[in-house]
Amino acid sequence: MSSQGNKVVVIGGGIQGCATAFFLAKRGQKVTLIEKDRIGRHASGVNAGGVRRLGRNILEIPLSLAAMDIWQNLYQEIGEYAEDFHPCFYLKVAVDEAGRELGLMRAANLREAGFTHEVWVEDDVIQTRLPHLSIPTHGGLIVEGDGWATPWRIVQGFANAAKKNGAKIIEDCYVNSLTQSQGLWQIQTLKGLFEAGTVVNCAGAWAADIARSADDYIFPLESFAPMLVVTERRPKILPAVMGVLSHTLSLKQLENGQFVIGGGVRSKANHLINQSDVSLQKLSSSIKLAAKLFSEIGNAQVIRCWSGIEGYMPDELPIIGRGRRNGLFHGFGFSAHGFQLGPGVGEALADLVMGQQPRVSLEAFRPDRFIN
Amino acid sequence: MNLNHHYDLAVIGAGPAGMAAAIEASRNNMKVLVLDDQTAAGGQVYRQIDRNYHKNDKLFFLGEDYWLGKKQVEDFKHSSAEFFPESRVWQITQDKHVFFSRKGRAYQVEANFILISTGATERPMPILGWTLPGVMSVGGAQTLLKSNNSGADGAVFAGSGPLFYLTIWQYLNAGFKVGAVIDTAPGRLSWSHYLWALPALLQLNLLLKGLRWRSHIRKNTKYFSEVRSVSISGQSTAESVSFLDKYGEKKKLYASHVFLHQGVVPNVNLTMATGLKHYWCPRQLCWHPETNIYGESSLKGIYVAGDGSGIAGASAAILAGKTAAKHIVQYSRRPSIFITFLSKLKRYKHVAARPFLDILFCPPKEWRVPFEDETIVCRCEALKKADISSAISLGVAGPNQLKSFCRAGMGRCQGRMCGLTIQKMIAEYNNISEKDAGYYRLRPPIRPLTLGELASLAED
Repeated sequence: MSSQGNKVVVIGGGIQGCATAFFLAKRGQKVTLIEKDRIGRHASGVNAGGVRRLGRNILEIPLSLAAMDIWQNLYQEIGEYAEDFHPCFYLKVAVDEAGRELGLMRAANLREAGFTHEVWVEDDVIQTRLPHLSIPTHGGLIVEGDGWATPWRIVQGFANAAKKNGAKIIEDCYVNSLTQSQGLWQIQTLKGLFEAGTVVNCAGAWAADIARSADDYIFPLESFAPMLVVTERRPKILPAVMGVLSHTLSLKQLENGQFVIGGGVRSKANHLINQSDVSLQKLSSSIKLAAKLFSEIGNAQVIRCWSGIEGYMPDELPIIGRGRRNGLFHGFGFSAHGFQLGPGVGEALADLVMGQQPRVSLEAFRPDRFIN
Repeated sequence: MNLNHHYDLAVIGAGPAGMAAAIEASRNNMKVLVLDDQTAAGGQVYRQIDRNYHKNDKLFFLGEDYWLGKKQVEDFKHSSAEFFPESRVWQITQDKHVFFSRKGRAYQVEANFILISTGATERPMPILGWTLPGVMSVGGAQTLLKSNNSGADGAVFAGSGPLFYLTIWQYLNAGFKVGAVIDTAPGRLSWSHYLWALPALLQLNLLLKGLRWRSHIRKNTKYFSEVRSVSISGQSTAESVSFLDKYGEKKKLYASHVFLHQGVVPNVNLTMATGLKHYWCPRQLCWHPETNIYGESSLKGIYVAGDGSGIAGASAAILAGKTAAKHIVQYSRRPSIFITFLSKLKRYKHVAARPFLDILFCPPKEWRVPFEDETIVCRCEALKKADISSAISLGVAGPNQLKSFCRAGMGRCQGRMCGLTIQKMIAEYNNISEKDAGYYRLRPPIRPLTLGELASLAED
């Protein structure tokens, strides 16, 4: 095999790609990361920054817990950028009986499956933890140690740490085509030809196009733009990240006092032309709910609204694993909940590329699960 | 509030262009909605004309050009257009839904056509001390004069441009004492000035009026021409203005009020956030929405008229509003080449002097990018020139990327106060054109909106 054969090219400079490049470089692999725009330009850089294990699909929990181990020791991996991770607690409250039933059922299921990180608490606990809450709740689920991070900084941190370990990072490098000959991948880009024995496809909303170009599986990936609003600075009243059971809402208050509200509300996106919409009115019911929880929030002025382009899978579970073609690996389709998973995915993909067994099973994320 | 869900035409901004369009369209039996964030129609130029007219001593110091607006406001009030003042439009979607807030609630309407006539905004003049209390824009000073008949005796005016001279002239007429006028316009004229002065003769009246204002100001104020290096200092409020006069001599004047001005630029926040295509106008040094001669933008059925599509003044705005409305009324019929030619000709009478004025008052770099490192550039995030420069040197390709590095432009003004400065700084550092440096990606809501207002849109 030529000297190119043991090289790895990671496509996509989001959190998944940067974390993958980092773990590979750290273990001595020759890695080049290519990004068609800029590091953290899309969903990875502009998401709500929730670092949560709470409320995850039960199939995703082992990976999420593995990722959390890395988050908790993030300083060792990415240095000062880790200061932009703020652990606190994550609380998903029930505002009606339906929510309570749902939450209690989930708590029982998790207990049965042996998970202890997410537990049910009653309203008295919630009121003590959140003294500024305007309404009584019907209880809720809590995870201690979950929190939020400034997403763009964390992605940048992984990119920088990868570079420090010898990885090359090339921005503004759009991939035109991906072909394999004699066991070697040839990646034609706007910045010339790259050759590598292994390619890791972390191209987010663009990953299905990459896979198609490589003559790999055809993935049923769709693009949407999850939206967020951020308000002016207000007095601090919320020390946690919050959600509401059986509603789409994610609510937090940054250290400078700004509220950030999002939570899975999708807007239209066209990944082919890097375009995403914001339709604020779609957020109105989430915001109404937030203002019900904390009446103070209603007075806060919106100063910005944004969205990032993200790839969604039909079952809202990611694709992580080996592709159909030799030497091609995939890590994408996180359906707007991949930010916390990122470090765990990076480590798992590095394991796969190096022929090692990842520390958690990736069975639920098999790339061929949609292929009959 | 008696609001329908659907209109033929929604007009955003009740200034000269918006009113003209509303009058013309409603005359042609269109169902027209007009939204404006002020308490009365008139825009910036005819601000509070109705109220001022009904005062016993009509405020004649505002000048005949101001009172020309009276008839238009009357016609507008008598038209069948539905007018909702105090409405802040914060989003227009490409499928022509208009979202706005009014008195604590948000509303949504749909229209077949939309005309954006949100006018101009003043170009920021970032000099040392421009964020001190007591310093404001000349436009702000004029607003106070028009809406409350109030002003500050002894204020120093620094800058240049038509609105600069007009406002000082109005100030003097109103009986306020002007501390001094610090004119930053470069003195020497070049051959290109004389070249553009020829077509400008078609608007001779306008030029003569400007000269009259200027000579009146020279006679009645302490006047300094060809001034450079202006800065304002003071402990907690403005106390003095320092500058170099045309002989290079250092001067210091004491003043508690300083009014700054470097011309006006289209207010592109709404047009950009709506997704209309824009181009960089090298003569006016600002972004303009792309439109055809009728004002139709790159998005079918969405029009832009008035100073918001390029600075041309009130009379050109009235014509543009009317032209846009006529085009909308006969939308299915494509105008012939001849009609298009006639429209261009008609417009030319109102804009012939514009290139000359643009060149005459083109702000040199000194007034667009501050000289001193300590000067604040982004007011919302309190970022100094040095902060921005060091972020740019990390390898920033454009204003949007800069946001991630230092939060510039992420405050509540959405870049209105820093966008053009930052664009220029990035262009200079990377040795690229201002056009290539680009501008902030603007996103709704482009006007203040509380979460409570937004929540009111939710269905119960």
